This record gives sequence, structure tokens and C-alpha cells, in this order.
Amino acid sequence: MAIMRMGYAHVRVTDLAEARQHYTQTLGLNEVAADGNKVYFKGWDEWDHHSVVLEEGGVGLVKFGFKAQYEDDLADIEKKAQAFGATTERISKGEELEVGEILRIHTPSNHIFDVYHEMTSGQVDVGNVNPEAFPRDLRGVGAPALDHALITAEDAGLMERFLHECFGYWTAEKVATSLDPADQHTIAVWMTATTQIHQLAVLEGPQSKLHHFAFRLEEGWEVNRAADLFAMDDVPIDVGPTRHGITRGKTVYFFDPAGNRNEVFAGGYLSFPDRPMVTWTPDVLGKAIFYHARELNERFTTVLT
Amino acid sequence: MTKVTVHPTGEVVEVRDGETIMGAFYRTGYAMRIGCKRGGCGFCKIDVHDGAFEYERPVSDEVVTPAEAADGVCLPCRAVPTGDMVVEFRENSLRLVNPLMRYMLSSKEVPARPSHLSTTV
Ligand code: FES
Repeated sequence: MAIMRMGYAHVRVTDLAEARQHYTQTLGLNEVAADGNKVYFKGWDEWDHHSVVLEEGGVGLVKFGFKAQYEDDLADIEKKAQAFGATTERISKGEELEVGEILRIHTPSNHIFDVYHEMTSGQVDVGNVNPEAFPRDLRGVGAPALDHALITAEDAGLMERFLHECFGYWTAEKVATSLDPADQHTIAVWMTATTQIHQLAVLEGPQSKLHHFAFRLEEGWEVNRAADLFAMDDVPIDVGPTRHGITRGKTVYFFDPAGNRNEVFAGGYLSFPDRPMVTWTPDVLGKAIFYHARELNERFTTVLT
Repeated sequence: MTKVTVHPTGEVVEVRDGETIMGAFYRTGYAMRIGCKRGGCGFCKIDVHDGAFEYERPVSDEVVTPAEAADGVCLPCRAVPTGDMVVEFRENSLRLVNPLMRYMLSSKEVPARPSHLSTTV
């Protein structure tokens, strides 16, 4: 295995104080460090130093971090990314706070993906010995961890090949114009390298854009409770609570104070490399994305940061 | 109380002190094309023909470029009028969805939201 998970989302926000309030008090992440115009957060069930970085100035994605299992994975992924035609660079240990050496990849979708093996590691908030089920003093949603993200790319099929060849991801689900692989145009893919149903999804759209990054919840009722908290805190809800046809996860989409789309996501089935890929056809795209309403609003496919 | 007039239909909506253009239209029974409601996506852009406004929160140059701003492009989800304005919505995005609210709120003074209900950020 090379890539274990999406390790961090680094996004820009227009007002750091408001964003801090949202990510700590509404979502319930813990602030772990502040450095200049950046603030670092982690969820209670994460052991690495941070999973969200907010940088003041603008809106949208700066980069994603992906954690590789072995140190040698960096050289291996570097070779594959270069062979694919992507530009890479190396960032020395310590240039990103609490992160070891980084392989920085400029992807065919014009996003920046940082691959690293080392990040200062501690323990989850309930400890590693005889832990309780959750910390008693959770705030707001009490999100335990970062889960996955959706980005847009002009050529979703090219990104699918890139993630397959360089990250070892397989496609759990896709939306394509035809069931015949020889004659299909890929509209969107949901990809993973573990039993987590998706780590990264790519939707056809403009280059270098962020659709959302998501936090994991355990149960469907927690998704509903999160929506109640968003109403209490005047957080604009985009869609939900509902269920996805794709991945079967339960969901609410909402916007952070800068306008970056967030999601809370619970459930979904387990992925395995030998499980047959699920294909959705564009005529049922509404049901695939929003299983109950069976229709897509205009905002969901066009609002990006 | 400032007024926002819609070009070319001539609809007029009264905006309370500190209220955004979006807030005033929603409060009086309208719906419009809105994305993040947070000034981040640019999906709600309208064009200002006359009058001035200020943003209640910082808005990134990437969302409304300086050239657009000079042309009168405005984000109603964050813009608070500083005087009477005339604005134009794009692609007929403004719709009156609740005529009753429009009628009631245009003829009555409604108390502002009690401050203890507002969220501190
Ligand atoms: S709705 Fe996103 S900028 Fe106004």
C-alpha cells in the first residue's frame, strides 16, 4: 500500500477569526497550532498533528496532503508521477509545520497534492489505552476526523488514470456516458486505496477548483444533529440531510464562513479492490447524488471555490 | 431605511440598517440565485446601476475582480447598501416566491430579530 488516506486539507479563508469559530465551535475540531496567518486543527479521533489548515487571504483550496505508509513510497510515487507527465518538487522536512519531507505534485487537474510519510504524531483524544467511546467534552458537531474531498478537473478520466497509476487508487464508483469502457466518457469518479469508500472524488469541471472537503461521522442521526447545529449557528446548508445513491453515505453539505463547501458524511459501504466497480449513467445522476430528492440543484454542480 | 430598486422591473425593497441586499429580498418574499451565501463563490453576482454599498465581511479579489468591482458587480449576500440603490439581477434570477410576505412586510413595521437570538462569531 502506498497512500493510506487524505491527511490534510489546506484552504484559504477571508476572515480567520470567523473561520476559527466555525471549525472549532460548530464543527468541534481542536485548534492545535497557529503560525502567522495560518491556524491548524485536528479532530478528536485523529493522531497526526493536524488535518485542516486555514490560511487567511482569499478563498478556495491551497493543497491537500496525502499520507503514504512507507518512506520509500515518496520516491516510488515521484517516479510514477513524473512518468505520467506531472511536475513534482521536493519540500524539505519542517517547511510545512510538523510535516517531514514532502513530495509535492502539480496534478493534471492543476491541484497541489503533498505526499508525505512523516507527521508529528500523538494520540487520539480518548487515548490509546482502555479508551472511552468519545470525549465527554465535545463541542458542536464533534467531528472525529477528516474523511474525503471532491475536486473538479477538465478531464476527470485523466485524473482517474493519474490517481490509479500514481497513488494506487481504484475506482469504487463512476458516472460515465456508457457502460462500455471502450466507448465511455467519464463524468465523475469516486476513488480509494482502502476499505474507506472514497478518499477523493473528481467531477468534470474547471481546473484547480474545490467542490468540498468532508468530515466523518459515525451514524446517520449524527448527520441530522449536525444540520440542527448548523441552523442554530446560521451556517448556510447547501443540501441535506439526505443520502447519496453513490457510496450510500448520509450527508449534509454546508458552507464555511469564507464560502468553502464542507460536508459531514456517515456510513457508506466498504470498498475492496476486488469489488466490482459501480457505474451510474447520466440519466439517473440526480438519484445517484441525492437518493431521496432525485434531483440536482444548479448550485451543487456549479458553486466551487 | 434605504431602498433597493430592481432594474428594469421597478420592484422596490426596503433594506434595514446593517441588512444585506440578499437578506432584505429573502425577508420580503423573494428568492434569488444564491450559492454559498458567504461571499466566496461569486454565484450570486448582480450589477449595480446606481448607489453605493459596503461589504459586511472581506470579499476576495478572486471572487469579484477589481475590474468587475469597478464595473459595479456586487455580491448581494455580503453587500449592505449605504444609500438607495438601483440593481439588476442576472438571467432573471430574482423571483417573487411569497407574495404574502411581500405584502405584509411592505405595509408593516416588523421588530428586528432579538439580539439574544443572534449568533456570535
Ligand atoms: S452566494 Fe456565494 S458569493 Fe454570494
